Amino acid sequence: MPDNQIAFVFPAFPGDYTDHPGKTLPGFEEQFNSLLARAAGFTDPELAGFGFEVCNFLQDELRTQYITYIYSCTISVVFRKAHISPVITAGYSMGIYAALFDAGAISFETGLQLIKYAYISLRASLGKEKYAMGTFIGLSEIDILQLIDQCSLRVEITNQNAAYSFVVSGYQTDIHKLIELAKEEGALHARDLAVSIPYHSSYLKDGATDFADQAGHLTIKAPGFAVISMIDQISLSTPEIIRQEICRNLFQPLNWYKTMQVLLSRNIGTYAECGPSSGLAKNAKFVDGVKFFPLPSILPGS
Amino acid sequence: MAKITDEIRKEVKEIVYSFFAEECEADIVQINENTSIINDLDGDSLMFLELIEIFKKKYSLDIELKVIGKYAVKHPVSTIGQLIDMQLLIIEHENHLLELDH
Repeated sequence: MPDNQIAFVFPAFPGDYTDHPGKTLPGFEEQFNSLLARAAGFTDPELAGFGFEVCNFLQDELRTQYITYIYSCTISVVFRKAHISPVITAGYSMGIYAALFDAGAISFETGLQLIKYAYISLRASLGKEKYAMGTFIGLSEIDILQLIDQCSLRVEITNQNAAYSFVVSGYQTDIHKLIELAKEEGALHARDLAVSIPYHSSYLKDGATDFADQAGHLTIKAPGFAVISMIDQISLSTPEIIRQEICRNLFQPLNWYKTMQVLLSRNIGTYAECGPSSGLAKNAKFVDGVKFFPLPSILPGS
Repeated sequence: MAKITDEIRKEVKEIVYSFFAEECEADIVQINENTSIINDLDGDSLMFLELIEIFKKKYSLDIELKVIGKYAVKHPVSTIGQLIDMQLLIIEHENHLLELDH
């Protein structure tokens, strides 16, 4: 078991659940099934039919967010039962809800409600237009902005994952055009992320306002430890700041690269990705000094 | 423009083999020049980028990623052997890589 301070990071949602790390985490399965049943009873009975083998709901944007949240909360509970707590935490994109649950700022059920309200509000605000998100690896921010500008594409850079790794959100036709242009420009990788909501873009401002109204009655407490904003890397220390954050998280651009650097600057020696995939851990290889550990290795006695 | 010596060739091969063995949790003795990066090792573009960064640091290379990307579109890489050949060309030609096609 690593002997230094731990940071937990919570992912958004994965492309699949094969080789998910919970398989090898003692107590995971029982806890996951318990939270899954709770979520099915509270918000959506269909969730009870989820299975890792069949990987259902991967094409369902709302339910796959629920499953990822349940998964992340399960890891949080398993670690807490083993008396393992992070000193700091951060949620990647919609992983913010699991990070807030982990820090004790919201209940499990409140997180489910936030996911539901966000999805419904954003979906309703977009009307009949088609939107998408794309990921781009190998071009600089300036390269991408020039391509957007050259063709007046209705898209925005909405996250930086690493020095040469970006996420862009916007109109579906324009995202697809940008993917073509980026490949011609020399991107090592460019693809559609297969989501229909342009998360973290200004196109969602109206939906985010509606979300804030709906979520206004939900109980939010001060976190038990630091939760770092992915927007401007401040510590989300009060319920009011958290309320503002969960709203602006929907329509303002994020920067995961800077978030990881801020975690690193706090002398965190151990990082754990608390979710069903290893995307954040892989991405962290481009931030010097960050070391992710497999989840079971963090438990006492390992 | 670096001259590719037998020593560099050997070093690049060792780095590529070790990298994929570790990243993909594969037995290094099972990796050979014909091993498919995607089909046999489940490799991805992030790994490719990480490997490029390793070589950029090791050999202090002056090359833009998009130069490599443009070259890779015309000369796609699917096996470990092809990847090693491309890395050697990158080390040898750096930002002049695309001039090889002229």
